[in-house]
Amino acid sequence: MTLYTLLFYLVATVIVASTAVAITRRNLVHAVVYLIVSYFGTALLFYLLGAPLLAAFEVIIYAGAIMVLFLFVVMMIRIEAHEEVFFPLSQWLPAVGFGAVYLIAGSVMVFKTPGTEVKLDLVLALPRDYAVYVFKEHWLSIEIVSLLLLVALVAALHLGKGNDKGAMEEES
Amino acid sequence: MTTGLTHSATATAALLATLSPFVAFLVILIVTRSRQQLSATVSLGAVGLSFVCAVLLLAGYWGMEGAVRLTVPWLSAGAYAIPFGFLLDPLSLLMLVIVTTISLLVQVYSLGYMAGDSGFSRYYAFMSLFVFSMTNLTLAPTLLQLYVFWELVGLSSYLLIGFWYEKFSATQAGKKAFVMTRAGDVAFFLGMLVPLLHLGNVGIVDMNSLHPATSISPGMLTLSAVLIFGGIVGKSAQFPLMTWLPDAMEGPTPVSALLHSATMVAAGVYLFARLFPYFSLSPTAMTLFLFIGTLSMLLASTMAMVDRDIKKVWAYSTISQLGFMIMALASGGPGGYFSGVYHLTTHAGFKALLFLCSGVFIHHFQTNDMFELSEKQCRHLKVPTVAIVLAAAALSGLPPLSGYFSKEAILKQLTVLPNPIWLTAALLGVFLTAYYSFRVVFVLCFPRKPEADSEEQTVKGDTAHGGHGEASYGLMVWPLVILAGITLLLGFGEHALKVLLVGHQDARGSLEGWAVDWLPVAALGLAISGAGVAWVEFGHKKAKQVGFVEEEPRLAALFRERWYLDHLYRILVERGIDKGISTLFYRNDNLVIDGSIDGMGKGTVEGGRFVARLHLGMIQHRLVVTLAVLAFLSLYFFF
Amino acid sequence: MIVPFSHVLVLAGMLFVLGIVCTVARRNLIMIVLGVEIMLNAASIAFVGAASRWHNLEGQAFVLFVLAIAATEVSVGLAIIVYAFRRTGSFDPSAYNRLK
Repeated sequence: MTLYTLLFYLVATVIVASTAVAITRRNLVHAVVYLIVSYFGTALLFYLLGAPLLAAFEVIIYAGAIMVLFLFVVMMIRIEAHEEVFFPLSQWLPAVGFGAVYLIAGSVMVFKTPGTEVKLDLVLALPRDYAVYVFKEHWLSIEIVSLLLLVALVAALHLGKGNDKGAMEEES
Repeated sequence: MTTGLTHSATATAALLATLSPFVAFLVILIVTRSRQQLSATVSLGAVGLSFVCAVLLLAGYWGMEGAVRLTVPWLSAGAYAIPFGFLLDPLSLLMLVIVTTISLLVQVYSLGYMAGDSGFSRYYAFMSLFVFSMTNLTLAPTLLQLYVFWELVGLSSYLLIGFWYEKFSATQAGKKAFVMTRAGDVAFFLGMLVPLLHLGNVGIVDMNSLHPATSISPGMLTLSAVLIFGGIVGKSAQFPLMTWLPDAMEGPTPVSALLHSATMVAAGVYLFARLFPYFSLSPTAMTLFLFIGTLSMLLASTMAMVDRDIKKVWAYSTISQLGFMIMALASGGPGGYFSGVYHLTTHAGFKALLFLCSGVFIHHFQTNDMFELSEKQCRHLKVPTVAIVLAAAALSGLPPLSGYFSKEAILKQLTVLPNPIWLTAALLGVFLTAYYSFRVVFVLCFPRKPEADSEEQTVKGDTAHGGHGEASYGLMVWPLVILAGITLLLGFGEHALKVLLVGHQDARGSLEGWAVDWLPVAALGLAISGAGVAWVEFGHKKAKQVGFVEEEPRLAALFRERWYLDHLYRILVERGIDKGISTLFYRNDNLVIDGSIDGMGKGTVEGGRFVARLHLGMIQHRLVVTLAVLAFLSLYFFF
Repeated sequence: MIVPFSHVLVLAGMLFVLGIVCTVARRNLIMIVLGVEIMLNAASIAFVGAASRWHNLEGQAFVLFVLAIAATEVSVGLAIIVYAFRRTGSFDPSAYNRLK
């Protein structure tokens, strides 16, 4: 049991706990904040597993951009005013049931499969090596993803701009 | 056509006898309908030609050996071949002569009876159609041809019963007769299929040979016989399909005389005689026929005892006499065959006479009720009165009239049967017959009320029956005289007929002599005592003219209501068809058909609603399914 | 030597199930999108663990794409949610029942 091992379990516990708390919050702002904690934990885990660049991305994009976007939306439309039907039985029971089945089956599968008992080494992928690898091997995919982001940008703009038209449709 | 059919004189005669009435029917219907006298002439000429040909054929056949078959192929399908043509043998030729004789006389009589009727031409057209059907039925060589003309006879009967179609009861009676006989005919057709399947054809000669006994199992033979007998029951108005015949008296009286006493209803008995050897192969069926004949005979006799309508009395008596014939035939053997056919012959004569006499009275006094007829002094019409007394005596079986001989032949035949109950029933029938026939005679001859304005009464009458006068009376009387002569003389032709029908050996054999000595005395005694009871109750000066049956109102009601057979049918129809089958159909319509169509509509709507629910915003439902599939896939792959 | 590879996978599985429960059980469009994010994150953890296990950068490269997809999905998804909210006034998916 090394210090890294201890750190891994600690971080894992934090991630799972904060996520579990996040998904059960009635208040969306609380949920988003708990989830940000979870993403910070994830970033730490990435660093632990030898991916420092990805850890930085995780903090910047997930915790920084995506979650803030959520917060914006939540605050913008005053979600508190709306009472949510909280965990209806017809939904959480099958979700938890099938989730448990899936988790148990997946765990058994993972432990039964040879090669998964191998302990992970301490490795480190330097940002420079990582960047060279990505742009050498996956340059086309990077271009496609950038195009996808552009499309998403246009779509979000269009949806946000179409107020008048949407209102007219509603009237007609 | 085979050469034999075209070039032989016999074939020509047969063709003329059967086809000329049809030609007359067509000519009247198409050309001469508007000219009444011409129509009658055409029809009379045709039936006269038929009569002459029939007599010639019978004379030519007399003494010949074996039957003559003249056929052309008509239908053939694989192994089945059904020819069309004529079968000339003693039985069919005798029947042909009976049919044409009575038809000729009735048509002459109708010249007077129907004179002035607006449907005069139509009447003669239908009469010709009937003669055509009946002659072809008589000479049919195969059961299928017989069946075709059997149905045509039913059709012409329907048309003639409902001849006065303005009368509601007449159309109802026609319908009833048609439907009830049809019930029997369905059975007949089904019964015909058995020999067709087993023998490959339904030729009467083939069926009457010994062939069926070897190729058809006894059970099927009995079934087929009983089913064919169903047709006979319908046509001859036997129990339980007997109630149509009294209602059929709605038709013109000559029609009743021709169809519903002498020829058409006798077609059932004729069919029995025609297939006599075939039926004889099944003793079980023969016993059943004997039972039905006896039952019909007794039931109809009791009904005849209480009815006031003179035509209906004769109708019941027809049923009863047909029952006698069935009894005789069903007792089996050459004796049964001969006595049944003999009674058929004599009965045709005296029953036609009875109806025609009654027709004269009815025509003259415009009423069917015998008590009213009596009050109107019908006995002043001399010729019909004498003739009706003669015919009633023949019906009762008094010597030396024809009915005596034929009835004695039947009784003699019944002594052959081991069970004495049939003979007892027949003797009872003899007594009842004498009682009811002389009841009518005495009522007609001895009116209670003094003579009143009888001559003025004759003027009254509706236009449909109009046309009185000496000319029509004379036309109606001559056939009566001829028929009376036949009734008087036919009894003495017994031996000749026997030779014709069953051959020399059988004629001289077991049939000679009385099997039981006391029987003729008993039969005659019963007939006379029946007439005597009628005399005491109706003929005597101080008699109340109330029958002993009517003293007991419940019994009289039972007889008058025809043993409640019609009520029984109505209940059966209501329970069985209205409540049972039609309810089933109704439910089928409502629940199954409507339900399925509604179900299709509702199913579409509900299905659309269900599919729509899948397309709501609740994407989680679909996610749950995805998750479930995922879970089960993981289980499937790793366990 | 940190932990066995299987523990990383089990951690990813638990996060994934939590994401699924969030997606399926909540009646709120924003929480549904959040659940999707959690699941993507779980997948990312599994990829990073696999990259460490086989000393191969392919896994880490894939996480980059996952990030990009997540960002795209969230921006478009939230835009749609806002749009839908303006039209119906609700975040509840069962309120979107015009087809009914």
